[in-house]
Amino acid sequence: MADGKPEQPPSRFSAMFEGFRKELDEHHDRRERTIKASRDITAASKKIIFTLQRVRNVGQPVPAFVNKNNAPYWKIIEDQYKGIAADLQGLNAYRYSHNITGGNQEFMEALSFQHYLETQSVIPQEEAQAKIAAMGGEAGTVSLTPDDFILGICDMTGELMRFSVTSMATNGKLPAGTPAAPNKRVKQEASSEDINDKMDIDEEPSPSQGSQKPRTVLDDLRAIRLQLEMFEAPLGSKFQHELVTKKMPVMRECVDKVEKALYGLTVRGSERPKGWMPDMGGGRQAEVESY
Amino acid sequence: MNIDLDHPPSSSRHYHLPNTAQKLSKMTGVNPAIFQDLQARVDEDTAVRDELKDIIAALEKQNRNVSFVLSRAHSTPVANLPEIIEAAKEPIGNVVATVSKLSEAASKMPYYKFNNMWSRQVQGAVEGLLFWGWLGGYKYEGGQVKCGQLLTIEDLGEILHVPVNLKDRDEFHLSLEEYLQSLISLVEELTRLARNAVTLGDYERPLLINQFVKDLHAGFQILNLKNDSLRRRSDGLKYRVKDVEDVVYDLSLRNLVPKKEEQT
Repeated sequence: MADGKPEQPPSRFSAMFEGFRKELDEHHDRRERTIKASRDITAASKKIIFTLQRVRNVGQPVPAFVNKNNAPYWKIIEDQYKGIAADLQGLNAYRYSHNITGGNQEFMEALSFQHYLETQSVIPQEEAQAKIAAMGGEAGTVSLTPDDFILGICDMTGELMRFSVTSMATNGKLPAGTPAAPNKRVKQEASSEDINDKMDIDEEPSPSQGSQKPRTVLDDLRAIRLQLEMFEAPLGSKFQHELVTKKMPVMRECVDKVEKALYGLTVRGSERPKGWMPDMGGGRQAEVESY
Repeated sequence: MNIDLDHPPSSSRHYHLPNTAQKLSKMTGVNPAIFQDLQARVDEDTAVRDELKDIIAALEKQNRNVSFVLSRAHSTPVANLPEIIEAAKEPIGNVVATVSKLSEAASKMPYYKFNNMWSRQVQGAVEGLLFWGWLGGYKYEGGQVKCGQLLTIEDLGEILHVPVNLKDRDEFHLSLEEYLQSLISLVEELTRLARNAVTLGDYERPLLINQFVKDLHAGFQILNLKNDSLRRRSDGLKYRVKDVEDVVYDLSLRNLVPKKEEQT
């Protein structure tokens, strides 16, 4: 590009275009930094999810090895968010939002998956946004848009599916909350679900609450599915397109897979000698695992 | 499908859910309020989009009116251009008014959240103004028109009453990319005009256009464009430059180039 210049006398618009060049260069630099950060956040999030899939219980803190393994990856994510926070402020927050959305979604997937494993609940959007804000440091926060959140939760259902199927294959049962005494259960939920104490007192006398079976992951998957099915993305938006054509069909399939696996377990599971794997057919299981 | 659309989104909202929802949330561990909050935020956006849609549709129509008037320049001798400048006054006034309306409505939301909705129409408006400016319409004070003026992005901001190329605050503005896109359209328009001028027996304007598009082309070569739509369109500029050169070549071959102008 610079070679072109000496051939011809500087045009009368040169000065104007020199100014434009500087601005476009700055824009492209910001954009590339954002894209790179998004990729790094995605890669680190995937590794975190990978480790989280080795957890076998829900509703309790993840084992120490998980935190130890994942600490460096959380650090990478933090560094990346910190690094680009300044580029994504004010006017530029939405300018590059489609460059960071991949990273945001994958981060949401990892964050919400761990949150689910520990508390058996879906992380509120504000809490996820606060996590990112904390990482941005003084430069400000990177916005987590509703699109990022919803699409991230869609992806998280895939992790819940893998988690459930693995658990059924190894333990012969669907993961569920701790089947403790009713009182204890309410208490545990109070701490984990971010709900006021006052509410729990209101709820406690309810007789149906205490006698309930512990919630399984499939119960939660169905509840998430219900919420996602009800969610209406803006008509004609990119978000809607992504949701309707890609994420929702995959999400539905994930719930179906767990339901099918549970069916297999229910029909054949009682005949199962100890240590015998649920008969979902070798091919079927491979398909699920490789998903 | 209706999920509590009237609720304002607030961080503390899910503590005050109706009792049934509270129960549901406790039973399932999936708090519906999380999704309802997001739904409310998304619905707000939809409302803004709907408001913008009408303004944008109006702008598109008015752009067509401007180009309808200005396209007569292709079949009008220079001497009669003042009529066209005069005729363009009203449609351009409409465009300016609509852009102001758009600016006001769009400034309620982050600029880059929705700018792809109107970017094409704003470019259309700017294209019209650039051609009108080139024909001598900007600050025209009667008499013979003076062709060949390039409106800067600042000129356009002044004409449209909108800020340009904002960096320090998040409001509606004319962006650099939109201006550059419109410049490319101007070159395409002028390439057409170069040939049509010859048809009208005007051998001077092709030379003026030749220099003008060369200068703009040189300007674009200063930019480091990435592989985006601006890059793809600006790659076509060299063919337009060549098209105009061909016209000038045809004229000079037949000794039709006016003597006072220097040959290329």
